[in-house]
Amino acid sequence: MSSNYPSLFRSEEMSLVQLYIPSEVAHDTISELAEMGNFQFKDLNPSLTSFQRPFTPRLRRLAEMARRLRLFRSQITGLSPTLGIPPLAAVPPFTTVGPRAQNAYDELEEKLKEHERRLTDMNKSWEELGRRKSELEEKRWVLRETAGFFNEAEHRHTEIRTSFDESDNAPLLEHAAEYGNLPGETGLSGFDLEFVSGTIERSRMPTFERILWRVLRGNLYMNYSEIEEPFVDPTSGKETHKDVFIIFAHGEELLAKIRKVAESMGGTLYNIDSSQDKRADALREVSARLEDVDTVLYNMGQTRRVELSKVAEQLEAWTDAVRREEEIFKTLNLLSYDQGRKTLVAEGWCPSRDITAIQLGLRRAMDTAGTSVPAILSELRTHQTPPTFHRTNKFTEGFQTLIDSYGIATYQEVNPGLYAVITFPFLFAVMFGDIGHGILMFLTAAAMIFWEKQIAKGGVNENLETFFFGRYLIVLMGAFSIYTGFMYNDIFSKSLHIFNSAWEWPHNATGLVEAIPTGHRYAIGMDPGWHGADNALIFNNSYKMKLSIILGVIHMTFAICLQVPNHLHFKKYLNIYAEFIPQMLFFHSIFGYLVICIVYKWSIDWSQASSAPPGLLNMLIYMFLSPGTIEPGTQLFAGQAFIQVVLLLIALVCVPWMLALKPYMLWKEHNRIKAQGYHGLTGQENGGGERHSTEHLDEEEEEVGMAVTESSDDEHPFDMGDIIVHQVIHTIEFCLGCISNTASYLRLWALSLAHAQLSEVLWSMTLDLALEYEGGVIGGGVFVFFMFAVWFAGTIAILCVMEGLSAFLHALRLHWVEANGKHYMAGGYPFTPLTFANLGAEEEQ
Amino acid sequence: MSFFHIVVVAAVVAAIGAIAWFVMPKGKNQTLLRTAALLTLTCCYLMWAITYLAQLHPLIKPRRSDLRAEY
Repeated sequence: MSSNYPSLFRSEEMSLVQLYIPSEVAHDTISELAEMGNFQFKDLNPSLTSFQRPFTPRLRRLAEMARRLRLFRSQITGLSPTLGIPPLAAVPPFTTVGPRAQNAYDELEEKLKEHERRLTDMNKSWEELGRRKSELEEKRWVLRETAGFFNEAEHRHTEIRTSFDESDNAPLLEHAAEYGNLPGETGLSGFDLEFVSGTIERSRMPTFERILWRVLRGNLYMNYSEIEEPFVDPTSGKETHKDVFIIFAHGEELLAKIRKVAESMGGTLYNIDSSQDKRADALREVSARLEDVDTVLYNMGQTRRVELSKVAEQLEAWTDAVRREEEIFKTLNLLSYDQGRKTLVAEGWCPSRDITAIQLGLRRAMDTAGTSVPAILSELRTHQTPPTFHRTNKFTEGFQTLIDSYGIATYQEVNPGLYAVITFPFLFAVMFGDIGHGILMFLTAAAMIFWEKQIAKGGVNENLETFFFGRYLIVLMGAFSIYTGFMYNDIFSKSLHIFNSAWEWPHNATGLVEAIPTGHRYAIGMDPGWHGADNALIFNNSYKMKLSIILGVIHMTFAICLQVPNHLHFKKYLNIYAEFIPQMLFFHSIFGYLVICIVYKWSIDWSQASSAPPGLLNMLIYMFLSPGTIEPGTQLFAGQAFIQVVLLLIALVCVPWMLALKPYMLWKEHNRIKAQGYHGLTGQENGGGERHSTEHLDEEEEEVGMAVTESSDDEHPFDMGDIIVHQVIHTIEFCLGCISNTASYLRLWALSLAHAQLSEVLWSMTLDLALEYEGGVIGGGVFVFFMFAVWFAGTIAILCVMEGLSAFLHALRLHWVEANGKHYMAGGYPFTPLTFANLGAEEEQ
Repeated sequence: MSFFHIVVVAAVVAAIGAIAWFVMPKGKNQTLLRTAALLTLTCCYLMWAITYLAQLHPLIKPRRSDLRAEY
C-alpha cells in the first residue's frame, strides 16, 4: 500500500542514495541538506581513525573557535552589572554559505584570536593589579591594627620605665645598651623587643599560635586582631577572612623561626617600622598607592566591559555559525574523496518521497555556491535494512515516543503508535474514570496547548517539561476520563442523576431496606441507585471485573490481528496459517468463549429462568478439569458440555499446529532449494545478482558500489535447530501469555476501584466532615473553607497526579507487554538525519 | 430495555463510523484521523454497551441501612 501521503501506519519508504558532489559545492550542499534535515549520511571511511580523516585539522580549528566563544560567554555572564547577550534573531546573520563563507570563517577566526589575546592580556594585568591591591590593603590593615598594639605596648612600657626610674635603676638599662643596638628599638629608646608582623588566614590562626608557642617555648608575646572585611580573590572570587598578627620576640634566631613558621603556614609578612612617625608615613603612602591602583583598576574594568560588550553583540551569531560549520565538517569527514575528479562521494538514507525535494535542494546549493556544476544524485539498490522513520507532528510525537521507548519499529512494520493515540488514553481512562478529575486534567493540558507557543518560547522547568511534552496525550487522557467517569457515574466520588433510575428507595423506611425496581434502565452509565448502597461494591466489582476482561480480550485480539498486514507486506504468507490462525483459534476457544458467556449471562433475565445463574469463573475452571460434564444446576445454556469439549479440542490441536507447522514448512522449502542444487548459495545468489547490476550501473564507481553490496551479503545460513528452538519458545510464550495477559487486564478493574475508593475516602474525611459540622455560620464557614483547601490539595496531589501516574504506568504496560508482545517485532534502528534543528541542544545539557 | 438496544446503538455507531471514514479530509493526516475516529467510536461504544448490559438484568438489588425517615 503506497499512498500519496505519509502516514503513521508504516514507517517511511527509504532509499539508499549516492551523491556526487564537486568539491567546490560540497560545503554548501551539506549545509543545504542539513537545513532540510532529511538525509542520513553513512560513514564511507569506517576504517579511518578520526585523525586520518581529511577535515580533522579544520575541525580542530573550529573546536578552538568554539572554545574561545565559550570563554567569552563565561566572561560575559560573569560580569557584575550583567551584560545582556542579544538573541540569535536580533543579530545580523553571519554568512555561513556561499563563495565568501570560507573567508568569513577565516576572518572570524582571526577576530576571535585577537579578542582572546586582548582579553587575556587584560585579565592578566587585572589579576596582577588585583593581587597588588589586596597586598596593599593587607598592609594597610597591618599598619592600622599594629598601631593599636604599639600604643598599648608603649603605654605599658612607659609605666614600667617610670617605675624603674623611681627606683633609680637606670644603670641596668645602660647596661643593656652595651649588648648591641637592636633595630626595633631605634625609635623608642629602651623598647628592646623585636617583632614580626603580617597577616594569616583566620582558620589557621589557632594552629599557628600553638606551633609558635611550642617552637619558641613560650618566649614570645603575640597579639592579633581580626580584619572584619573579607578579602576577595580577584581570579576565583573566593572570600577569605584574615587576621593581623604581631609577634614580639627576642633574638635574631627566634625571629627567623617565626618568619619561617608564618611563611610555611601561608601567612604574609609585612615590614613595618616601630617608630610611630614612620608608620604614619607608610600608612599615607599605602593609601595613596591604593587610590592609584583603584583608578587604574576602574579604567581597566571599563575597557574590559567595552571589549566584552563588543563581543556580546555578535556572540550568538558567531556561536551558531561555528556550530553549523562543525556539523558540516563532521559530515564531510564521512564522505569519500575521489582524487582524480575532485568530487566527493556521499552515501546515505533519505525518505523516497523526499528525493525530489533533495534534488531541488542540490540545485539551490549550487546557486548559493555560485558555480554551475550541481551535485548529482543517484539511487542505489541495496539489501541493507533501511532506518525506520515515522513522520510525526507535534500531536503524534508524544504517542510515538511511548512506543519508541519500547523499541524502534522494524522497517515498514505496522506501527502500534498509530493506534496508541486512542487506545492509550482510553485504557488510562478506564482506570482513572472520574468526571471531576478528568475535567481537571483536560483543562490543565488544554491550557498548555492553548498557550503552547508562549510556554515553548519561555522555556519550561525541567520537571514540567515532561508534562508539557505529553500535553496532547494528557488532553486526550482527560477527555476519555470524563467519558469513563460519566459511565462510572462518578464525579469527585458523587453521582449524577440524569436519566430514569432503575431503582427507587421506599418512602419513610428506616433500617435495612432494599430498593424497589422501577422498570426503567438507566440509559447511559452506572445507575445512581447504587451510589451509597451497602452492596454497591459487590455490584461494581462484578461489573468492572467483567469490563476489564472484555476490553482485554478485544484489545489483544486487535493486537493479534495486526500481525496480518505485516505478514502480507513482508510476503510471509506461511506465518498467517502457521501462526496467526492457530493463535486466534487458541485464544478465542478459551477467552473468546468466556467473553461470549459473560455477555450471554448478562442478557438473560435470570428471574424468569428455571435455574440459578452459574458462576462463570467456576465454569471456566471446570471446562479444563472435567471436560464434557456440567454439574447439575450450573448449566448456562443447552449443549454447553459438547461445545466446551469441541473448544477444548480446538485449543489442544492449535498447540502442535503452532509448534510444528512452521519449522516443517521451512525445512521442506530448504530441501526443495537444496535439491535444485543451490545449497549454500541462497544468500549469495541474490546478493551476487544485485552486485552485478550495481556494477553495471556505475561501473566507474566500483569502490563505492562494492562497499554497499558487500556488506549486504550477511543472510543467515539455514539452521533447523535455531528455528525449532525459536518456535518452541514462541509457542510456549503465546499459550502461557494468553492466560497471564488476560489476567493482567484485571489491573483495569483493580485500579479503577482503588481510584473510586480513594476519592470517596478523601471526600468523607474532609468536606463531608465540614458540611455536617454544626457550629454556627462563621465557625462552619471557616471550617468548610479550610476543609475545602485540604480536599482540593488532596484531589490534585493524590488523585490526579499520583493516581494519574500509576494509571499511566499500567496503561503503558498493557500496551508494551500485552498488546505489543502479540505483533510488534521492534527490530529497527531510528533514522537520524543531519540537521541544524537541534544545534547546541546537547551542549546545554 | 433489552438486548435490542445494544444492537440498534451498534448499528448507529457503525453508521457514524462509516460517515467519519468518508468525511475525513484527504491529506497527510487522513489515516490518523480515520483511525482515531473509528477507535474512539469503538471504545466509547464498548464502554457504554458493557455498562448497559451489566445492569440489564440485575441479579442483586441495591440495599442500604442509612435512610432517614423524612427522606
